[in-house]
Amino acid sequence: MEEKGQALTSYDVSSLVIDNLCDRARGQGTAVACFYFDFAAQKEQSSASMLGAVLKQVVSGLEKVPEGMAQAYEDQKKVIGGREPQLDDIVKMLQTIAGERPTFICIDALDECVAKYRVKLLDSLNQILQRSPGARVFVTGRPHIQAEVENRLSGRVMTIRITPRRNDIISYLHTRLDEDTRPDAMDSSLRADILKKIPQDISEM
Amino acid sequence: MVQRLHWGSTKDPTFLQLPAIPSTDQLNHLPSTVFKIAKMSQHRSHDNINSFNNNSFNTVSYNCTVTDDRAQILTWLSPLEPRLRHKAIQEGQVKNVGEWVLETEEFRGWYAGSGGSESDKAVLFCYGDPGVGKTLIR
Repeated sequence: MEEKGQALTSYDVSSLVIDNLCDRARGQGTAVACFYFDFAAQKEQSSASMLGAVLKQVVSGLEKVPEGMAQAYEDQKKVIGGREPQLDDIVKMLQTIAGERPTFICIDALDECVAKYRVKLLDSLNQILQRSPGARVFVTGRPHIQAEVENRLSGRVMTIRITPRRNDIISYLHTRLDEDTRPDAMDSSLRADILKKIPQDISEM
Repeated sequence: MVQRLHWGSTKDPTFLQLPAIPSTDQLNHLPSTVFKIAKMSQHRSHDNINSFNNNSFNTVSYNCTVTDDRAQILTWLSPLEPRLRHKAIQEGQVKNVGEWVLETEEFRGWYAGSGGSESDKAVLFCYGDPGVGKTLIR
């Protein structure tokens, strides 16, 4: 999942976008929620727990927990052992809140979500967007899920291809060279050579 | 108030001390009625200490009821904590990498649509093959 030595990963882009959205949302009553899928956590990252985590972030920004939600929480306590929130209920609650305030949902590495959960998740997002066209969804993933995303969220998707650009590579090299644990092997001319040669080779490809 | 407490605790160490509880030994020398009462009060004072602790515990949880409920409801919604993952990624992030994405027309249009229905493209999908960057840089 986390591949060291990579100039631009999906989670670099995701976390950058999330931070940017959060900066702009400050004091605006805008909700920003994030989620990072991870192969290693596939079991617990179901469609319900994922969207539940999105809802949790949205609600934590509200002054008060919506009354219906507090009531649903009290009601489930009466069932022995409690009852987890169901996907349908979570979608309804998200529809309501996203209709009242600008809401951003950012999802990283959707391809790392189990296929059957991914279908449910995309359909749920579609339901939310149907009700609240102002809600925004940001998704990153490998190219093989592009068709699936476009089909399930028909007509709503815009795409950007992420490839490391020259500036990304230069920023990346600067950081990695600064982190070098054997500074003796490095001098300023070698450093300058690396910073010149590698981005050049890449732009020629 | 803060000053008084401060003064009390530094300059006069007895200020915050509780009244001494008579020991059973001392009580045995007292006449029987007084003894009983004193013994009772000894008993009571221990009780009081316990109930004081209980009370203060109750008070604390009472004060937090609203927040507690809120926290419990949030945990009930999902046990997952994606914001912690976000923090971890933030820390390891290389500065400025990927910033061009924010400048693309697609991103700008997508963001602008959040206000109303200017853009019907509510979903922005960024795809990339993680293998590419990796092989080039290694």
